[in-house]
Amino acid sequence: MNKSSDEPSNPTREPVGSADPDAALSGPDEDFRLVALAQQGDLGSYDALVTRHRGRIFAMIRNMIHQEADAWDLSQEVFIKAWNALPRFEAKARFSTWLYRIAHNVVYDWTRRRKIESAGELNDEIFERERIDSGSFTTPAGGDSPDETMAHGELREKIEAALAKLSPEHREAVLLKDVQGLAYKEIAEVMECSIGTVMSRLFYARQKLQTMLKDEYESR
Amino acid sequence: MNTNPDETTLALWLEDELHGDELAAMEAWARNEPEQLAAREELRRWKGMMAAALPASEEPPYAEFFNGRIRTAIHRQEQEPAAATPRRFSWQSVLMPLAACAGMALTFWIGMNSRPAAPEIDVAGAPKAIPVDPILYTPERGVKAEWFSSPEAAATVIVLNGVAAIPDSMDFSATAATGELREIDATAGVDGNDTETPDL
Repeated sequence: MNKSSDEPSNPTREPVGSADPDAALSGPDEDFRLVALAQQGDLGSYDALVTRHRGRIFAMIRNMIHQEADAWDLSQEVFIKAWNALPRFEAKARFSTWLYRIAHNVVYDWTRRRKIESAGELNDEIFERERIDSGSFTTPAGGDSPDETMAHGELREKIEAALAKLSPEHREAVLLKDVQGLAYKEIAEVMECSIGTVMSRLFYARQKLQTMLKDEYESR
Repeated sequence: MNTNPDETTLALWLEDELHGDELAAMEAWARNEPEQLAAREELRRWKGMMAAALPASEEPPYAEFFNGRIRTAIHRQEQEPAAATPRRFSWQSVLMPLAACAGMALTFWIGMNSRPAAPEIDVAGAPKAIPVDPILYTPERGVKAEWFSSPEAAATVIVLNGVAAIPDSMDFSATAATGELREIDATAGVDGNDTETPDL
């Protein structure tokens, strides 16, 4: 997606807060520079932001709901909602943290809708391991050898199966911390809870996971 | 750090989230805490295993199409500015309901305090009413309708001029609604007798 003259420039988008374009342009953070331009209606810059963050958002959502097709749609929903909310982004947090926050809401709204739509039916499949599309496994990033890739693939299946048995809150806490590498404070912002709650959720989630993955964990 | 750290600081140190002076102080404290050092190593090993198995980033399938769909959705929104633009506060939104309420109250007050324009006719035993000449409609062309009223006789007469004479042969009963015999129960009368039908 490249910027072109026919792309809409949104004159009504009035940035709020500290995203001063000039300051952002001289700043080291490429995200803030692109955000400042996007807040002025530059869709090309926003497209660059999408490209920079789509992988993490897609991976996060896919690990949360275990359905690749829905994760694909929901990830797009995240970026569309982010575009609409961009004038209110104040750059107090990292742009990526802000996106995780939107992704959190999108996933929980989707889960709520699914539960309502399937009311009266057997709806235990939401967040369940059985819903994982076996064809959706992708090779982990990195330059692993084929043996390592296979080992990681098998481990991934086992971890995903164990993650599916956690509550959504525990699963999200583990994914944000141990996979996405967010800080406690950032996770608290994303999940709208206190740092103490994050610590508690992480403690119990890891404990459950380590029990379920005891063989794999101890052999490494 | 001579005293034990608080729970949050310890957790942040275990997660490798401390920096600067805080980190240095905790490292100094942890030199004499082999259990905490082991716990941190355990946590690092755990996170290493998770990160190796589950990538933090995965390109979505058809990545360019992924971006394209987002761009299309945004374009569509831009073409519907009225729907997408958030409503702003307006005094009009407050004043309009107030004006409507005031109007209703004024109308009610006028209704309670106004007098009828036409004089009332007192008819013994009858509710008071404003006499108004009725408007008569005739369904056929050439027919003229006249209306006469006598309050003394408590009678009203409507005369229709121009209506064709009604022949003596006309059977009024044919125009009246009459009940038809109908089968009450399809299973009745199996013994060959006529089904009894209630008088209608």
